[in-house]
Amino acid sequence: MAEVAKKTALTQDGKKASFNLFPELCKGCGLCIQKCPVKIIVWSTDLGVYGTPAVCTNDQDKCIACKNCEMVCPDAAIRIVKTEEK
Amino acid sequence: MTREKVALAPHMPKCWNPDTKPHKFCPGCGHGLALKMLGEAIDELGIQDKVVFGCDIGCSLLAWDFFNVDSVQTHHGRTTPVITGIKRARPEIIGIAYMGDGGGYAIGAQHLVNSATRNEKVTAILINNTNYGMTGGQMAPTTLPGQKTETTPYGRDPKETGYPTLGPEMVAAIAREGAYVARGSISNLRQLKKYLKKAIQNQMDGNGFSFVEVLSSCPTNWRTNAEATWSFVEKDMAEYFHVGEFKVPGLKEEK
Repeated sequence: MAEVAKKTALTQDGKKASFNLFPELCKGCGLCIQKCPVKIIVWSTDLGVYGTPAVCTNDQDKCIACKNCEMVCPDAAIRIVKTEEK
Repeated sequence: MTREKVALAPHMPKCWNPDTKPHKFCPGCGHGLALKMLGEAIDELGIQDKVVFGCDIGCSLLAWDFFNVDSVQTHHGRTTPVITGIKRARPEIIGIAYMGDGGGYAIGAQHLVNSATRNEKVTAILINNTNYGMTGGQMAPTTLPGQKTETTPYGRDPKETGYPTLGPEMVAAIAREGAYVARGSISNLRQLKKYLKKAIQNQMDGNGFSFVEVLSSCPTNWRTNAEATWSFVEKDMAEYFHVGEFKVPGLKEEK
């Protein structure tokens, strides 16, 4: 099987995990904003694929790496990468 | 806040066709979530080369190029018999019929009922978003009492139009031993994936008909924002449509 091709992601590093958003996949539905347990996902100034606001986090250090946002994204536009333990 | 640009592979199920992403569904549509869980279920079972995926007319037809699996797009309501036919001709494949509530409970109700009665060894997945999404949000058999749609501007009146169809309950009542019937919801995706996996596994074991209804969202036609969308799926819909397993095949007899 062909590997999924890499796309441009906007990344935000935090203590536990980094928040990576793919603007060419994000449709700006906002489902992730509601499902974040620590309420750090907000509308971004970057635009998604339909020219609507994409999302970003306002304090990535608060992220608990639960991956709820990655799971509820219907377009797989979010990817959470856990920071490797040092 | 600094946002660096990096090259990274999106975390998609392997059986998705990445060239067709972003997919054609509306922002916030539950089809994407249901198909994501179905994709993960197919990946975990390792059956990508055996699956034949059939989609109905309606919003569900937008999934025709969604997966890197053999796909067929059928006449309206005829997804279950088409997949049944393919399964009968080629019993080694795994047939998945994917339809909306119009294709399963309205025009395709006879096929769903008869396939369940005959206990065909196929998996039917029905997405319930309480309206006809593609044509602009008209009343469907699953529209909730009092819900406003294009054709029920004052809310659905059960006295005139009856009560919403309870599909899994109906299928569980007519299906024979060996059938698997469940209702999942996009508000509990881990549970939904478990149900979808069990439904496909049931077909692979040759037990009988497998049917999973998925409570889904339609923000475009409900005219809801993300918060109201979740609240409608989790509260209003879950109150009428109970999530759970309705029929689980017992232990199969030893040969």
